Amino acid sequence: MSAVRASGWEAPVTVAELVDAGPLAGARMYGGGENPVRGVRIVDELSVFATVAPHTAVVLIGTAAGGGWAVEMAMRRAWEQAAACVIAPAGGLSEGSGEVLAERLGVTLIFVDEDPLIVAVRVASAASRPDAARTQLVARCATRLAEAGASARRVLGVLNAELPGTSVAFLDRYGRPLAGRRDAAAGRWSAEVTVPDREGGVLGTLVAGGSSRSPGWPAVVRTVLGLAVAPLTAWTAQESLTAARDFALQSALAERLIGSQMSEAGGSGKSGKSGEIGERSGSGKPGDSGDFGEARVAATALGWPVGGPIAAYQLRPLTPAADASLVQALVTGALGQVPVLVRGEGWAGWSASGPEELAERLHHCLRTLPWPCAGGVGAQVDGLPAVGESLLGAEAAAYVAGEGSVVRADRMGPAELLGALPTGVLRAPAAVVLRPLLEIDRDGTLLETLAAVLDEGGALKAAERLGVHRNTITTRLDRIRSAGFDLDDAATRLALQLACHVMLS
Amino acid sequence: MGRLIDRGGLDRLSAGSRVFATGAAESSYNLALDWARSVLGRGVELVRADEPAPETRCVAVSLVGSTTALGEQLPAGDEPERAVRALERRLGERAGAVVGLNLAAENALIPLIAAAALGVPLVDGDGTGRVFPLVEQTTYTLGGISPAPLALAGGSGELVLLETAAGRVEELLRPVVLSVGGWAVAACYPMTAGELTRVLVPETVSLLMRAGEPGVPRSAAAPYGVRTLCRARIMSVEGSTGHGADPGPPALPSLPSLPSSIVLRESEGLGRLVRLEAHNEIVLALADGAVVATVPDQICMISTGDGMVVDVDKAEPGLEVDIMVVSAAPVWHTERGLALGGPRAFGLPL
Repeated sequence: MSAVRASGWEAPVTVAELVDAGPLAGARMYGGGENPVRGVRIVDELSVFATVAPHTAVVLIGTAAGGGWAVEMAMRRAWEQAAACVIAPAGGLSEGSGEVLAERLGVTLIFVDEDPLIVAVRVASAASRPDAARTQLVARCATRLAEAGASARRVLGVLNAELPGTSVAFLDRYGRPLAGRRDAAAGRWSAEVTVPDREGGVLGTLVAGGSSRSPGWPAVVRTVLGLAVAPLTAWTAQESLTAARDFALQSALAERLIGSQMSEAGGSGKSGKSGEIGERSGSGKPGDSGDFGEARVAATALGWPVGGPIAAYQLRPLTPAADASLVQALVTGALGQVPVLVRGEGWAGWSASGPEELAERLHHCLRTLPWPCAGGVGAQVDGLPAVGESLLGAEAAAYVAGEGSVVRADRMGPAELLGALPTGVLRAPAAVVLRPLLEIDRDGTLLETLAAVLDEGGALKAAERLGVHRNTITTRLDRIRSAGFDLDDAATRLALQLACHVMLS
Repeated sequence: MGRLIDRGGLDRLSAGSRVFATGAAESSYNLALDWARSVLGRGVELVRADEPAPETRCVAVSLVGSTTALGEQLPAGDEPERAVRALERRLGERAGAVVGLNLAAENALIPLIAAAALGVPLVDGDGTGRVFPLVEQTTYTLGGISPAPLALAGGSGELVLLETAAGRVEELLRPVVLSVGGWAVAACYPMTAGELTRVLVPETVSLLMRAGEPGVPRSAAAPYGVRTLCRARIMSVEGSTGHGADPGPPALPSLPSLPSSIVLRESEGLGRLVRLEAHNEIVLALADGAVVATVPDQICMISTGDGMVVDVDKAEPGLEVDIMVVSAAPVWHTERGLALGGPRAFGLPL
């Protein structure tokens, strides 16, 4: 049986475990309850204390429980004997003074309503078979988790309710909390269980922590966390299915993530140290964890990157195209689990891949699309708050990219911009602008010379490029000027250079 | 030879008798003091127990029952004398001296009144060195002297003579006291001066007279030592269980009144949780659950406000008190003394 259980299950139960999750459930406990319980002793008179061993749960009956003074003396003796706790029938001592003394002596005091003798038997059984007591807890957690179904929030609710003295949180793969309690990692000990995504990667981590000193407790918690992995995996699958069925839903979610970036910068990450993540605060402070928290949880469930370095992409259809669902399917097929949203004439999104890999995959994607498309990839930025910048870059890059090609914004230069000029459309106006020149330029040398001078920025370099003497260039420029072109005018120069580019490309 | 307790001595004695005394109702105390003043005359002679001839017959005189009842049903004035005379008739000899049973408040004055009325000396000493609730709880009993035969004089002229085994006196006495109005004067423990010398807690009368002088520290009233446990504020007063109300040890009858428990928080120092278990008097003091004082030592609460002893029945939350422990006479710390006046006598299974 030890195959299922990590070591620690056999470690003695602590008083707190008995009260929170064991045979003393429902009893009133005063004090920390951190002591291990190794046995039980029924004490009917104070003289019995002389033989009480350390780490014993002392159950008071008879004259030893016969009044406040008797219980107080018993607590004192329990302290002297290093007993684990004192269990007294309710009513023997006013709970106020019991609480004071428990705190002063550091002896945990527990009031029970039931017959102390019956309680003693149950505690004895838990103390002698700690693994059995813990198995009971795990079984109860399994039942409650099954009832909770596939919801991250409900699963975390169950974990936090059923694991006494323990805070559990669900962190995304970047270590940011999605659900549960914020103070999960702040305890004296911690336990972690990884939740895999559909592709076998890391979807997130369940982290638990607490202040319990019980050596057996972390092992039990780890087991219970393990039970929660399946419901959480089911939750992601369910979320993905829902979203996959509905492009609009996903697109809206992506828009919300981009739109809420500012809220996140000043909101959820910094608000409050503990408490439930994603709970709407009573104040209704705008930008607090509420909406964005939910969006981020949903995005994580879909496997979208929501943190770390990301790069945006843009697809630009060159002919009208409308089947968004098909685009989504093909894009996610090529790029993995990424958002796809409508942006301008095309579609955009972001990915955790670097620009190079993303450009490559996008290029591959272009070939699978049924319409002629161009692609752009934005520069890599740090996290969602900066994704807008990367999206702009991707949009510009997609605009300059030709059919079936992908341009990276971080590699984009003048050549790429010029290349993006619709030369076919511009050829006719260019011919009109250059007509006076073309009329006197029988062999095209004047056009060639004009282009060389404008491209190179001077007659000398143009002569070098064309392999002629400088005076030849000067003579040709005179002829061009005589055709009515004022080469000293900047606007004329730009128009002529563009026209040359169009005519010569 | 003896000294005279005159008017001034009476005032000092009455003041000294209240230093550590509990259960003193103001009106009945004043009444007893007025009573004593009215009969004092030229004064009462105070003698050591070994001063009279050893065969001199001595009688202990005490108020029994409720002191509050004394304030409500006034005495005729002849009760002490009638009680002693009745005992003399039973014994067939005259009492040569009177001694107190205890010297707490009124009980310090009743023997003086008796001595004045009878014209005999008062023996300097008493039978407890403090006060216990039961007539049997005396050093006289510890010394083997029986309280019976005992003569009882009530405020309406009643006269009852009890003759029984030593252990049954309280049991027979209590219903009789109730039926004569809640209080009576008892003359009991007849013994010779020689026996008295042996069983007496000596010189407590003169001690209280010294303690009653203005400006004398409180500790002067505690011949065997007194210590201040702590200063504490009363948090709550609770009914209590587990002692006294249950059948007591077979040797002693159960105590009158019900047990209660006073929970206090130490005002300074360690801030300990203090619990005083009371049953007629404070029988046990716990600090953080540890026993810090028990009977037979006398545990008192002294109000920090007016310096008066706070009666157990008058304890109320918010009151700040000094908890003081007056050590009992050494004889109470012997095995037999503890059996008669220790925790177990009050039903505490310690």
